[in-house]
Parts: sequence; structure tokens; C-alpha cells
Amino acid sequence: MIQVTNLSKSFDELQAVKNLSFSIKKGEIFGLLGPNGAGKSTTINMMSTILSSDDGAILIDGNDIKKTPTICKTLIGVVPQEISLYDEFTAYENLLFWGELYKIPSKELKNRIATILELIGLSDRKNDLIKTYSGGMKRRINIASAILHNPKVLFMDEPTVGVDPQSRNRIFEIVESLNSQGMTIVYTTHYMEEVERLCNRIAIIDDGKIVAQGTQTELQKESNVKETIEITFQTIASNQVAILKEAFPSLIQNNQSITVACDANKDLSTIISICNTAKLQIEDLKLNKVNLETIFLNLTGKQLRD
Amino acid sequence: MILTIFKKDLKLFFADKKGALLTFALPILLISLFAFAFGGVGGNRTVKPVQLLVVDNDFTKDSKEVLSNLDALKGVKTISEEKTTAIDLVKKGKYVAVLIVEKGFKDSVALGKTLPLELKYDAAREIEMGMLQSVLIQNLMSSVGKKMISSKMEASFDTNFPGTPKNIKEKAMSLMNSDKDGVNSMMGENTMGLQMTSVIKEDTKKGNLGLIQAVAGTAIMMLLFSIAGIGGGLLDEKEAGTLKRLLYSPVKPTDVLFGKMLAALVISILQLTIMFVFSWMVFGLPIFKDITSLVLMIIATAFAVSSFGIFLVSIAKSRQQLQGYSTIIIMLMSAIGGSMIPLFVMPEIMQQIAVISVNYWGIQGFYDIFWRSLPLTEILPKMGVLVAIGLGMTIISVRLFKKNVLKMI
Repeated sequence: MIQVTNLSKSFDELQAVKNLSFSIKKGEIFGLLGPNGAGKSTTINMMSTILSSDDGAILIDGNDIKKTPTICKTLIGVVPQEISLYDEFTAYENLLFWGELYKIPSKELKNRIATILELIGLSDRKNDLIKTYSGGMKRRINIASAILHNPKVLFMDEPTVGVDPQSRNRIFEIVESLNSQGMTIVYTTHYMEEVERLCNRIAIIDDGKIVAQGTQTELQKESNVKETIEITFQTIASNQVAILKEAFPSLIQNNQSITVACDANKDLSTIISICNTAKLQIEDLKLNKVNLETIFLNLTGKQLRD
Repeated sequence: MILTIFKKDLKLFFADKKGALLTFALPILLISLFAFAFGGVGGNRTVKPVQLLVVDNDFTKDSKEVLSNLDALKGVKTISEEKTTAIDLVKKGKYVAVLIVEKGFKDSVALGKTLPLELKYDAAREIEMGMLQSVLIQNLMSSVGKKMISSKMEASFDTNFPGTPKNIKEKAMSLMNSDKDGVNSMMGENTMGLQMTSVIKEDTKKGNLGLIQAVAGTAIMMLLFSIAGIGGGLLDEKEAGTLKRLLYSPVKPTDVLFGKMLAALVISILQLTIMFVFSWMVFGLPIFKDITSLVLMIIATAFAVSSFGIFLVSIAKSRQQLQGYSTIIIMLMSAIGGSMIPLFVMPEIMQQIAVISVNYWGIQGFYDIFWRSLPLTEILPKMGVLVAIGLGMTIISVRLFKKNVLKMI
């Protein structure tokens, strides 16, 4: 459904996207996972035709977005990171306006609005002004505005930023429902648990490059990291952290604690030995199973929410 | 503590360099502008003479002498023209007045009769007229005054004291000529018979000059401000993210711009209409006297102003910038275009510069409708200029918007 080849984009001195290549199959939920500033939104902006790339190509359902941007725009829907709605309009008026831009016949549009309002659970609030909505409700209308024309591909750029857990779950259900109807979804986030729940395949992006891609199982298999060890000390000085970092470069310090992505069978004894040498008094030690956060940490030396 | 807060606020104020510049630059700009407008600068500069159309239907030595004396004056430049054309040019506001010397001028001078002279003028330019009138009468006095008095006295002697010896008559006339009051009493009201007529016929439906100036001037200036605000909605959309969302949909960036411009145009038409209806209801402005011209003039003005609003938005990258640009440009255009001060009060140079302003063409158009009562065909060129300004601004705005649109999202 989507083919991205050698995509690059720079803003003055900053190279935001570096030679990115990936493909997304029809009906997939594809996760773009990375910290803030990794290049996710720039990639989405290029895929959604509003930002031209410096280099590379993007095909959507076989259409080159540089050659046929208008066709591509009708194939895609975009849920932007910001709540891009008119506060002074009601939810219904907003949906009507955004739908009319796609020249959907009036009767069909009205039916579609009714169906979507039902899907997002806001039929009873359709005549209320957007400014009276909660953050979570606005997010749902934000999604609804992007799917009125029934796009083949839906780009969702961090659609759950700033919402409560209940609304977040509701958004997950909407995403799953749309996907079950055959919609291909490209989902960007820096919340690892969202990707773990929703995405079939994932591309981990950092500093404008894809550092790994595949299904969760593939990523876990390919990773030489099996667990994370989290150790809390009574006190830890910077020179002591430096000693530990020599052996485990991806180590992350958080106050009196350190987190190391490793294979516990092989590395646990080494860590304890170094702690003893560095005269560090262990207060607590936790062993966690590997997850996307761990893989990301090991690949980039950064935490997702840095 | 107060000092710390004071220092912080001062620092914040000067951190916004554009804002700080505006605070000081705008008053300086306006002071300079008003000083120019009221002629308060360049006190020794040469004042451009008043251009006076002249029609010589007598074409005698006396009439030529009067007109050539007039042309020799420092403050007047005469331009010969055929009578109908000359009156038409004054009617259209191109010249302040036309002096018509009718046949029989020489004979009237010789017989000391009322001179067949007529000054047809544009009452909208009363300040120039005041100056011109006094210059004209002085000139006539010095050119033909003595001749007329002598003729008049000679006729009086012949009627009342027939047979008076020539030397007595000459002595009496010499004494009379040296007595200013005597001359004046001989010449009646000191107007040398100069008949003054406004080219704009007195019409009960005609608007009051001051009212037309106030309504047209203020309406266009306020319209510019409100349209700049409407155009600014595009920058609000940028901040709210809806502009980005609009660009995700199958609309072209120029569609967004034209959509906004159309909204501005409709609101402008509505705003101008309301202002004129209000002026009719409250001040009695005769808006129905030439409704076709008024409607077309409102549309042309609204188009020029709307495109100006869009132009402002296409050069500004934020609301703050828009506010700065619009304040400066609108104040400047309104001052030079005659919204703040009537144009006829301004020096010639300012009147020439005024043509670059939307306000000028709008105000002059409304003058043509309400004051000069010109037919639509005569007002169409002014509407054409407004439409041309609108089209020019739109073309520039589209180019700038296309260039800047990606930076806006």
C-alpha cells in the first residue's frame, strides 16, 4: 500500500530524515516509534503530501505523491498531532465542513457523519460546540474528521497526546475498528505500550534514521537484549556511573538508579562484580522482561520519552 | 524589588525588537506625514502655483492683457481651454476653476460697466478658491480698474455736468484715483463684476461636502483595519493547526487564500453598505441618488481593500507581525489618501503621492457620486483603478503565499 524509498529531508543545517526506506502492506497497522524530534512528524508530513522531500520517493497505492498529489490526498486521511478543529463550530458542523472538502455528496456525507459519530461514541454531543468538549472528546472528533472520506490509508500522528486513560482506550478501539474494516494505518507515537497493543509491524526511528523494523517478535528475536536490570543504590557518584558505563554503554541513570539492557544470564554477575569494585551498595535490584522500550534503549542509548 | 521588576519589563520590551521599533517609528512616521500634509516643513520651498483654466471669448487687447497679467503672477498659472471642455474639467475635479472672459469685455471696460467675467469653480476646493478669488480681483483692479473708473467718471461728468472743461475733468479724475475709498465706492462691492458660480449645481439631493469626506474617509480606513483582522484569521488557522489540516485535504493552497479573500470581500461589501445606510438614516446622505454607481463603487472599493488584507497576511508570519505591518501601512495610506485630512488641504506634492493609496481612489469615487454627481461613465475609471489595485495585490499575494505557505505550517 505504501512504498517509501530513500527519503531525505533537511531544514537548513538540520537533516531531519536520512535516507529512510520502508514499505507498509495493505490492512496493516504500522507503527513509527521514536522519541520527540526523531523525524516521525516530518516523515508523516512528506507522506501526506504537504511537505516535499529533498530526495527519495513515496508511492501510495501505486501513485507517486510528487506526480499525483491530488489523487494521493483522496487516498489518505491524516489525524494531526494538534487538535485541528474549529472551536466555534459544533462537532457536526466541523465534520460537515471537513467532509465537504472531499466533495462527498451531501446525503452520503450526512450518513457517513452519523456512522462515524456512532463509532466514536459522540452522537449525543454532535450539536455541542467543540470548545465545550473535553480533551479526549476533541481527540475523537479529530480522528472522525480524517476518516469521513473513507481513506485507504490513515496517518495518525501521536493521536493520544494529553488524553486520559479512558479516552486513550476508546481511541485504541476506534483504531482497531477502522483497521478491521480494511483501513491501513500508520501510527506514530513515543508510547511503547500503544505500539505493542496496536501495531502489526514497527519501524524504530531515531535521529532521522530507521534503526530497526519488523514485527515485535522479529525485533525481540533480532535483539541481543533479553532483559533489563534496574538497580537502585544507596548513593551513586558520577565517577561510579562512569565505571559502569565503560562495561555497559547503553546504561541509563535515573537519580540513584541505573537501568541496563542486557542478557541477565550472561551479564548479571558482571554487573554485581563491577558494583562491588566500585564500592556501590545495592539497595534494590529488579529484572524486567525485554520490551520495545528495552530494544529502543539498547539500539539508541536513549529512552523513548527523552 | 520594584527596580528588578522594572529592569525585567524593560528587557522584555526591548527583546521584541519589531514591537519596540514600532513604538518609536510609528509616531515619528505619522508626525512627519502630518507635518508634510499641513505644510509645516520646508517653509522656504516654492509653492506650486494654482492652475487656472481660462477661456477668452472676447479676444481683445484688454482681455489678453488681463489674462497675461494673471499668468505673470507667482501663485497662478493659466491654461487656455475651450469653454465646454474647461467647465467639464472643473466638474471632474481636475482643475480648481475656470475664468471665462465673455465677449464685450473690452467695451465694458471702456464704458465702465460691469465686466462680463465668470469664475466657475469646484466648491470642494474652497481653500484654493479663497486664494484664487482674492488674487483675481487684485489683478483685475490693477489691469483694468483705472481705465474703468476713468470711463465711469467721464460718463458721469457728461451726464451730470455737461460742458465741463477737459482740464477740470482730468483734475477731478486724478483726485478720485488717488482716493482709495472713492475708487472702491465707484467700483461697487470691489468684485469688478466677477460672477462666481459653482460648477456643481445646487441640488437638494446633493451630499454635504464635510459629510461625504467624513463618511467615505472613515469608512475606507475602518474597512482596511477590519479586513486586516479578517485576513489575520489565516494566521490564527496556522496557530490552531487547521491550516495544516486544510492542506491535507484535496484543496490547493491558493484555494485557501481565495476562500479567505472572498469572505473578506463579502464582509467588506456588507460593512460599507451598513456605513452608508447609517449615514443616510442619521445624517441624510443621499445614497439613492445614483444607486448603480454607489453599488459598483462599494464593490470596487471592497475588492481593493480585501486584496489588500490578503496581501498583508501573505507578508506576515505571525499575528504580531500582521498587527505591526497593518498599523503602519493603513495609517500611512489613510493619511496620504485623504481619510484623515481632506486632500485639498494638503500641499500639491502630497496630493500627487495620494494616488498610490486605495483610500484616495475610494474617496474620490464617492466624491464623484455624492458631490460632483458625475455619470457612471465618468466614475468608471476610478473603479477601474481600484479593481486594478485589487488584481495587482492579489497576484502578489498569491505568489508570496505560495512561497511562504510551507513555512506557515
